[in-house]
Amino acid sequence: MRAVLCSLCAVLAPAAPCLLRAWQLGAGVIRTLCMGLALLSVCKFTEKHECVTTENGVGTVGISNFAQEALGDVVYCSLLEVGTKLNKQDEFGALESVKAASELYSPLSGEVSEINEALAENPGLVSKFCYEDGWLIKMTLSNPSALDEIRS
Amino acid sequence: MDEAYPELGRGITQPPLPPFDTNLGAAAQGAPLRPRPSSHAPGSSRGRGPADTAVDAMQQPALRLVRLGRVPYTELLGLQDRWLRRLQTEVGTEGLSGTEAGALLLCEPAGPVYTTGLRGGLTPEEIARLQALGAEVRVTGRGGLATFHGPGQLLCHPVLDLRRFGLRLRKHVAALEACAVRLCELQGLQGARARPPPYTGVWLDERKICAIGVRCGRHITSHGLALNCSTDLTWFEHIVPCGLVGTGVTSLSKELQTHITVDEIMPPFLVAFKEIYKCTLISEDSPS
Repeated sequence: MRAVLCSLCAVLAPAAPCLLRAWQLGAGVIRTLCMGLALLSVCKFTEKHECVTTENGVGTVGISNFAQEALGDVVYCSLLEVGTKLNKQDEFGALESVKAASELYSPLSGEVSEINEALAENPGLVSKFCYEDGWLIKMTLSNPSALDEIRS
Repeated sequence: MDEAYPELGRGITQPPLPPFDTNLGAAAQGAPLRPRPSSHAPGSSRGRGPADTAVDAMQQPALRLVRLGRVPYTELLGLQDRWLRRLQTEVGTEGLSGTEAGALLLCEPAGPVYTTGLRGGLTPEEIARLQALGAEVRVTGRGGLATFHGPGQLLCHPVLDLRRFGLRLRKHVAALEACAVRLCELQGLQGARARPPPYTGVWLDERKICAIGVRCGRHITSHGLALNCSTDLTWFEHIVPCGLVGTGVTSLSKELQTHITVDEIMPPFLVAFKEIYKCTLISEDSPS
């Protein structure tokens, strides 16, 4: 998150660190807004429906708002296991939104370090990625500066 | 074309299609419905001629029409996989004028087969019981739970690029439902309707006449709909269709009290499909 946020703020207001300071103060609304903006920024760069934020070499993958609207209510989520090595654009799972199963593709290369077990009970959480609850997998990234990989 | 499909005049709001959608003769006259080999590679440059203007004017995506007839379900799956691999590896989507946006695979299953979806839908015990009845059981990656396919049923699997159709996945599901509803209307059944999740599919009252289950990967769809024309409905008694306890199934034959074959509903079904998807269908001239 922080890596993305810093780049975004630098782009928006290179001479005004006020946004970043507000985040550090923990103002809830601004933090959510900045994270939302950061995620939107990242989501724009990926052509796929998956969205990723990175921090300290760990990528957290979810689905973009665009994808969530396209799918509708998600009723089921199937994900590969922890330890799976993924190359960029490898399939890592699928979501079902009643009668329509949609494959998920890894936006980055790395190894799955965690999968969101909460989705088994509550698959609808995937629509909440922008609010931190709806992540699908976390992965340790092969390439620490991987976010640039998405932009290129 | 109008003679073959007299229903074209009923309620169709789009303008008449140019006379080269299902007629290969017109394609042979130079309309580039299929890519010229030299121009297929992305990034290659070629001059634009009058044929390009004609295609641009069409503006409709084209699908390869593949009518398999009565074949084993596994044959449909195999062909579907080949189309998926082909479409998923194509580079880029914009402005590939003359390239098909996918294929419309149609068949009537030759034998009884039960299928499950991404979420499953059958226990190992149920699978064994169904196999003992003489049916195949296949696992698929489509949405939806368990259903039955067999003789007398129309299976329609559009393997298409959603981007070329400007469709979201949900809209594609709705469009498949609309095709079945329209087909029922064309056959004189006015009460057919789609229902919201979890009852996706096409219903007459509490009886399902058409099941839907699709998959999407890299923007390419697979699987589709199964419309009961003269299906032996007793096969459904051995499962809970689509996991919906207490619902029934029906067929065109049962509702209309007359034997309706898959072959005879094919022309109106294709009319409905073209109308709803706003596309053209190109008859295959040789297997790919």
